[in-house]
Amino acid sequence: MNTTKELNTAYRLRHALDERSHELPENIRERLSSARKIALSRKKAAVEAPAFVMQPAVAGRAAPSSPREDHRLAWLGRMGAILPLAALVFGLAGIYQYEQHQQVLELAAIDAEVLTDDLPLSAYLDHGFDAFVAKGQD
Amino acid sequence: MATDKELSDFLEDIERRAFKQAIYAVRKEESALDIVQDAMIKLAEKYGDKPAAELPMLFQRILQNTIRDYFRREKVRTSWISLFSSFGKQDDQESFDALEVIEAEEGSYGAETGQNRLERSQILNIIEQEVQNLPSRQREAFLMRYWQDLNVSETATIMGCSEGSVKTHCSRATHTLATALRAKGIYL
Repeated sequence: MNTTKELNTAYRLRHALDERSHELPENIRERLSSARKIALSRKKAAVEAPAFVMQPAVAGRAAPSSPREDHRLAWLGRMGAILPLAALVFGLAGIYQYEQHQQVLELAAIDAEVLTDDLPLSAYLDHGFDAFVAKGQD
Repeated sequence: MATDKELSDFLEDIERRAFKQAIYAVRKEESALDIVQDAMIKLAEKYGDKPAAELPMLFQRILQNTIRDYFRREKVRTSWISLFSSFGKQDDQESFDALEVIEAEEGSYGAETGQNRLERSQILNIIEQEVQNLPSRQREAFLMRYWQDLNVSETATIMGCSEGSVKTHCSRATHTLATALRAKGIYL
């Protein structure tokens, strides 16, 4: 039997089976109908995927009522994550600057102490001073 | 996701053919109705959230599995019955067997057909009987491909065999049916 002839035979048989299936007794049709109703009453409800959207928690604020407000709140949610990070970066930069400034001040204080010492700086450049020291050691 | 109406329409469309498929396999009206109901409930409970396009294949898979489960349960039940009946008295066993046979014949689909139906109805009945007489794998493949409109790939997935096997089963089923009907003077 070739494919075309086979298909024709199959479709004729299909029509015969279809016709036969429409001649079901009333009691069977009722049973099938009640089975269908039972199945539909137990239909699985759609399971929505859990959405992890950051919700800004503002005391006394109702849920967003419009898409525009919803969008604004989503923007606020994103800002809620960015702002603490920015504050941390600025804080660290500030501490670094402060430490640098403190180091400069400490060095300046040491320099000032050296410069304001009893021995004048010009004494180190005076050749007579060496002679005076050598004489003092004697 | 299939809406309630889509699922309802699908089940309404499929229920008669599903019942016929089940009855060709199990040959008992009450069991076939139970099988179809179980398959419908399983589909709605477990796959009610699937798209409408996926429902035919899912339903066929569930239906075939439910039919196989029925045969497994029947096998276990028969083995237990034969085990216990061997302990009973001889006359009890005989009366029990007779009741079983009578009930099976009354509930069977073939018992509903009469000799006085119209010629067309008789031809349809013969066709149905020949489909029922097909080997189970050939019948499954034939009904899924040509009656339930599943493609070769879907049928192969449900039957757990290759696409080539599905084509072979379908071809053999069609050939067997055509030959059997021709022998009875029915030419398609």
